[in-house]
Amino acid sequence: MRGHEMEHVLEADGLGKRYGARWALRDCTLRLPAGRVAALVGPNGSGKSTLLHLAVGLLRPDAGAVRVFGNTPYENTAALADIGFVAQDTPLYRDFTANDLVTMAGKVNRRWDATLARTRLAQAGIPPRIPVGKLSGGQRAQVALALALAKRPRLLLLDEPVASLDPVARREFLRTLMGGVAESGTTVLLSSHILADLEHSCDHLVVLSSGAVQLSGAVDDIVGEHRRLVGPRHHGEPIGGVAAVVRARHTDRQSTLLVRATGRVTDPSWTVHELTLEDLILAYLSDGVTEATHEAWGVAA
Amino acid sequence: MIEFVLDGRSKVNTYVQLVQQVKQALRVGLLVPGDRLPKVRDVAQSLAINPNTVLKAYRELELEGLAEGRPGVGTFVTGTLAGDSLANQADLRAELLEWLRRAQAAGLSDEDVTALVDTTIRAARQADALLEELA
Amino acid sequence: MIWLTWRQHRTQGLYTLLGLAALAAFIVPTGLAMRRDLDRLVGQRCATGGELCDRGMNEFIDTYSPLLHVAILLLAVPLLFGLFWGAPLVAREIEQGTHRMIWTQGISRRHWAWTKAGLLGGAVAVLAAGYGWGISWWYEPLQIRESRFTEVFFDVQGVVPVGYTLFAVALGLYAGTVLPKVMSAMAVTLPAYIAARLAVGMYARPRFMAPLNRSLAIDDHIEGMTGAWLMSTEVRQADGTRVTGGMMVCRPEGDGGLCAAAREMGLRPGAYNYQVYQPEGRFWTFQWIETGIFVAAAALLVWLAIRRVRRVA
Repeated sequence: MRGHEMEHVLEADGLGKRYGARWALRDCTLRLPAGRVAALVGPNGSGKSTLLHLAVGLLRPDAGAVRVFGNTPYENTAALADIGFVAQDTPLYRDFTANDLVTMAGKVNRRWDATLARTRLAQAGIPPRIPVGKLSGGQRAQVALALALAKRPRLLLLDEPVASLDPVARREFLRTLMGGVAESGTTVLLSSHILADLEHSCDHLVVLSSGAVQLSGAVDDIVGEHRRLVGPRHHGEPIGGVAAVVRARHTDRQSTLLVRATGRVTDPSWTVHELTLEDLILAYLSDGVTEATHEAWGVAA
Repeated sequence: MIEFVLDGRSKVNTYVQLVQQVKQALRVGLLVPGDRLPKVRDVAQSLAINPNTVLKAYRELELEGLAEGRPGVGTFVTGTLAGDSLANQADLRAELLEWLRRAQAAGLSDEDVTALVDTTIRAARQADALLEELA
Repeated sequence: MIWLTWRQHRTQGLYTLLGLAALAAFIVPTGLAMRRDLDRLVGQRCATGGELCDRGMNEFIDTYSPLLHVAILLLAVPLLFGLFWGAPLVAREIEQGTHRMIWTQGISRRHWAWTKAGLLGGAVAVLAAGYGWGISWWYEPLQIRESRFTEVFFDVQGVVPVGYTLFAVALGLYAGTVLPKVMSAMAVTLPAYIAARLAVGMYARPRFMAPLNRSLAIDDHIEGMTGAWLMSTEVRQADGTRVTGGMMVCRPEGDGGLCAAAREMGLRPGAYNYQVYQPEGRFWTFQWIETGIFVAAAALLVWLAIRRVRRVA
């Protein structure tokens, strides 16, 4: 793997952010190693944007701390030079042409590679002298990405960059992103709720739900550790090789368990299945709310 | 220069798919020692995959002695899987063609043929595994 | 940052210049016409006085009085700056989310805010100064009808438009940091500006300096005070009790007693006109005091606004 020193690009310790009485992000602790392409997944309102805004210094923490390359990003323009950020819905000055935006970025950034910006924009087929408000969503996303990459950042933060794009534009965006990562070795943290895109591009995962980190680590480790077990009705007894039961579903005679395993599960009464990344993420994100809701509606579950 | 493809539905790891494709290309002679494998950046960009995955695949090939990375230049094919198997392949192909004609004459469609091959391979593997356990 | 400010606001600057040019296209010809007619109807005739002079003055006043209504419309100009230059400055960035782009590049929010406020404030001040000077020039001939020191006409000329405009823009800017939607910020700036202007104009301005007063005998010709600010005029009995507002102008009877109209109103001998005023010489002092008040208020609002900007998400 690149980055032999386990340098952590992003560190959060008990990080929290509150809006009024509601904690949008709570007790968030995570480490992002250098050179990874990390996915930040979670449902809407889970705190993904809040975490990214804290990491890029737009917000100040109400609890805990966040450090990027060892520095606090809040009100720290020196730290900003190393961070590239694209906010949700890729905000840009809509009456500016792509050319204007490149000029602007050159004037407000310390480190700026104008040639790289123009090359990437040319590759993406972006017309330079048309106001970006008239471009398609996919083209605007490419412009925002080109601007972020031309900063030559060491960390790239992307907030749902492909959420509102059509599949073709999504694929184009991911290709440009992967090409940029290959060239520069920059670390990436990108939030998304389109899981299918992430499987091939991300090697690190952070799962957020209700403002808390549910799962975080290298994708290979996570997929390797988790198994789905199908077997007779389980009542909480320990199972050999299983460190923890993450999710359980029961019928009167059968149980399906999602477990984190420490070794091989050799108990013959259990059938062991591997899981795809998507299955895993969905399992961690699902709540046990549905039974209660059925009762509230007065219908049989 | 070969071009990689990705089978999105395959259960096999991405980097394993890349390794397999290089090996397949070596077997049929599409790649010969001295050829340069596609640049990591180009593969990552065209397939929209993590460049680390490509690096992992190339490193695996290096470990198996099939390729060699030269810093600043690229990764080059050094080993070979073709050779005697190429000669065998010509014979095997001829036998296969004859068998196929007989299968067609017996009324098997293309899907029947593929299904027959699959189940026979699986049965053969199971039999081998059983033999290994008993041994 | 300078280039960015220019590029972001050049369209609105263009529209502003076009608007001011349209205003000038009205002001310049009418101003020149007024000067010509003033000279013809009044200047040449009134050197000697007499009936021709009076008729000339009346003709001039009848012709050009309607322009005074235009002056009233000009009260809106500083407010327009506030609504279209001030309110969107921060509010539009936040409403459209572009603050998440521009504040994560390489400049601090403080630097961004101060540079923008400084450059735009400077541009606005220059435009307002030019505008104030232009209206002063235009208004000169109209002084014959209404002193420039009078309410409303005081407000649209000289140096106070600079203070009002800077204040309106600062108010819009601050409103935009509290209510980060352009429409809402505009909706708050409008009443706040009007309230502030009324408060200062009606309560503070009369007290900038202690006014003077004069008592005038009731006669058929009362000497006016050109260029002064007549704050109040009333008719009093000899002992000082107020009888009515306004002025009593009538020729006394042959024996020195009051005219019939005056006696009908209950005025007894010794009644007089009483006026409270600010003399003409204080015009510029008052202009500078009022400008100072609004510029100071503007500076405070800008400082508060930039403090808020640092805390906005």
